[in-house]
Amino acid sequence: MNENTGWLLDLYPDARAGVVLWFVGEDGTRYRLRQTFPVTFYVAGPLPELRQVWRWLSAQPVELKLARTERRDLFQVQPVTVLAVQVANPAEQPALFNRLSRVFPHLTYYNTDLQFSLQYAAQYGTFPLARCFFAHDEAGNLQTLEVLESRWTLEPSHPPLRLLSIEPDCDPQHAAPRTLKLRYEQRGEGASERPVEYCFDLEPVRPLLANLAAVLRRHDPDILLTAWGDTWLLPYLLDRAQEQQYPLPLNRDPGDPEGLFQPRQPARREARSYFSYGQVIYQGPQVLLFGRAHIDVYNAMLYHDYGLEGVFELSRVTSLPLQTSARTSPGTGISSMQILTALHNKVLVPWHKQQPEDLKSALDLMQADQGGLVYQPLTGLHRDVAEIDFISLYPSIMVHFNISPETVNQHCPTASRVPELDLWIDQEAPGLVPDTLAPLLEKRIRLKERLALLPAWHPYRRAYKARASAHKWLLVTCFGYLGYKNARFGRIEAHEAVTAYGRETLLRAKETAEELGFTVLQLYVDGMWVQKPDCKTVPDFQPLLDEISARTRLPVALDGIYRWIAFLPSRVNPKVPVPNRYFGVFQDGSLKMRGIETRRRDTPPFLKRLQLEMLETLSELELQKTGQGLDLTPVLRLLHRRLKELRAGRVPFTDLLVTHKVSRKLEEFRGTSPASRALTQLQQVGKLFEPGQHVRFLYLRGEPGVHAWDLPYQPDIKSLDYDYYAELFARASASILQPFGVDEVTLRNWLFANAAYGAPPGVLPPARCRRVPLLAGILPATHARNSGNAVHSLDALPALC
Amino acid sequence: MGRTLPSITQAFLQEQESFARFRRALRRSDQLALDDLFSAAQRHVAAAAYASHALPFEIFLLAMLLEEHKQVMRLRQLLHDTWDE
Repeated sequence: MNENTGWLLDLYPDARAGVVLWFVGEDGTRYRLRQTFPVTFYVAGPLPELRQVWRWLSAQPVELKLARTERRDLFQVQPVTVLAVQVANPAEQPALFNRLSRVFPHLTYYNTDLQFSLQYAAQYGTFPLARCFFAHDEAGNLQTLEVLESRWTLEPSHPPLRLLSIEPDCDPQHAAPRTLKLRYEQRGEGASERPVEYCFDLEPVRPLLANLAAVLRRHDPDILLTAWGDTWLLPYLLDRAQEQQYPLPLNRDPGDPEGLFQPRQPARREARSYFSYGQVIYQGPQVLLFGRAHIDVYNAMLYHDYGLEGVFELSRVTSLPLQTSARTSPGTGISSMQILTALHNKVLVPWHKQQPEDLKSALDLMQADQGGLVYQPLTGLHRDVAEIDFISLYPSIMVHFNISPETVNQHCPTASRVPELDLWIDQEAPGLVPDTLAPLLEKRIRLKERLALLPAWHPYRRAYKARASAHKWLLVTCFGYLGYKNARFGRIEAHEAVTAYGRETLLRAKETAEELGFTVLQLYVDGMWVQKPDCKTVPDFQPLLDEISARTRLPVALDGIYRWIAFLPSRVNPKVPVPNRYFGVFQDGSLKMRGIETRRRDTPPFLKRLQLEMLETLSELELQKTGQGLDLTPVLRLLHRRLKELRAGRVPFTDLLVTHKVSRKLEEFRGTSPASRALTQLQQVGKLFEPGQHVRFLYLRGEPGVHAWDLPYQPDIKSLDYDYYAELFARASASILQPFGVDEVTLRNWLFANAAYGAPPGVLPPARCRRVPLLAGILPATHARNSGNAVHSLDALPALC
Repeated sequence: MGRTLPSITQAFLQEQESFARFRRALRRSDQLALDDLFSAAQRHVAAAAYASHALPFEIFLLAMLLEEHKQVMRLRQLLHDTWDE
């Protein structure tokens, strides 16, 4: 018997072995161990039919145990009598269930399509990269397994992982790559080897395969980090290896040691496009490996947000394998966590859930079917504004008020009423959803507290931030899953209860702020922007924070204090404010912006940078208290410089690329939008795009007006439509300058007609330069002339004066 | 997507649309004033949504009155200040 400590890397069902587990030993060895692990699913229905199922199952050539038992279905009050089907080898379960559900399609099935790692986790408490104690015999059979750390710890151990990154020299969608760059390094505790780099030509093929195989054997990496590995690299390599009959050891699992079976091939999944939250999402094909994890940085959801550290954290808290958690959306993550809680509590997990919405009257529906509270801000520029956020408002509400599908609408003595609605929530036992969320929420709050204390230079900061961001996405989606009627633990009424509590909370916060003499500039679902004369520092706002959390009983935090913030009106109608379009500078000089061009994906990088530069320049200018406005000369100088660069053709093509998400198939486009013309160009050279993928193009003069970037040739630099780019330039700069009193006409005169910059906006220029177009102002005197802004005057004026 | 009720912004636009014939028959200057009234109401759609009133147009009318009254208050204050000087 061998005893070891190490980290769990991967586990999956195997036709011969039952379960295969991979460990990274503390001694540096990688262990492949086996274990038998039967899995159970349940069938419910009328007893005579269950008897037929029993007979049918007994006749199947699969090793299984059948039993009659009682289990709890969350959506039913009484426990359900079910037939428990225990399959000895988990690898045989999917096929068996598939046959069974076709023979008996009308029965109710539970726990049938669960991720295998969750079923294992429910029994052993495992999660990827968990530090474990394990013992095994000489034949590699796992005897004991004990997890040594909690998934909720703030300081997880760092397993010493071997990382191999592979990257082609260019985007394979754009042009055919010629070389591959490889980099091998160690991460985590006790990393001693130096990074090694290689560069291989893609042609000729055979030496490439031989070299790759040699690198894989020499370094035996735990994680294969690729660029376009799912969509191009690994499928390409696997196809070449098959053509050449050359075994490429991408998989670490050698398959069957006796050679009776073929070596295991990597699992390949097809690409798909699907709708989620009204958006079409493209998920590329996937290549999953056995024994090591393959992560494609361009096919990993939200990788740009949280990186490898975030993938690890997502795996840890959801118990999903590394390769799965890197590719699945946070929504899958949160439902996995709920399934895990259900398995722990011996609650049945429905296969296809049928849960109709309760009947309600039209008036009830009007009150219940609302979202969060979204105000229209007081547009214009405001000084010394505090942003107060509820920490993970909706998850906090679910945990605090015990909102879960099975606790909603229970008229029992222990129930409490939801504000505004005729809904009751049982408070006696914690519900499944709050039970799942509570530790995650607590971990996030503790992590944020610790982050707030860490100085900016601290080496842990990055990792903490990545982890906090992974939690954030899980918590954000948990609300959607509560209301999605097809989600396994979703229920519309629970969703309505959450938004009702959310509105109540925010209104209470607003009332509190106004009672304490603050002006509420904006309310947005879980945030509030307030201001009060002479309140400038954190202690000035502390009493308000304390009072809000006392009255709402939910955690709030001061997100920051802005030196100034500008809420923008709608582009279409400047008299109408829009909720989520603003930018501002915090007291520490950092910027925050929402809804303006720099945050939009379809804005060329050149203009994104321009807006950032403008904001940085503005943030350095001190607003003068007298209401004299700002001297915008530095910003104007910047604009002229950048415009000159644009016109002189000194901005590289890559900075002018516009990116559009493909919303439908090419033949479904009705008009000829720039994106559809770019797609047509690409189709002509044989490059097809699926809905949800991104198409990049440049604007050109004349017909067809665009040049798709992934065409095999580059356009003539002279044919770029500089006028159109200048138009976009003017729009992007107008968004930023509008709150400073510069309207679009004035700005265009400055930019294109070389009008003189007479005076800071808001100040009447001296008589001798009256010919300069009058600037829209923020002072009452000029306000009268600018009738367009008259409606706002009452609210916007005190802000600066 | 998946809405059982029109959003408050949709409801607002529908109400505005239902006065299209009335607006068309107005003089140009009156049309602009009418547009101003609707813009004023649109600034309170959040509160209108929260109210979830069966007849949202009543709320929109009140919102228009509200903005008008704010203007009156502001002008009154201005006059007051001018007299003080």
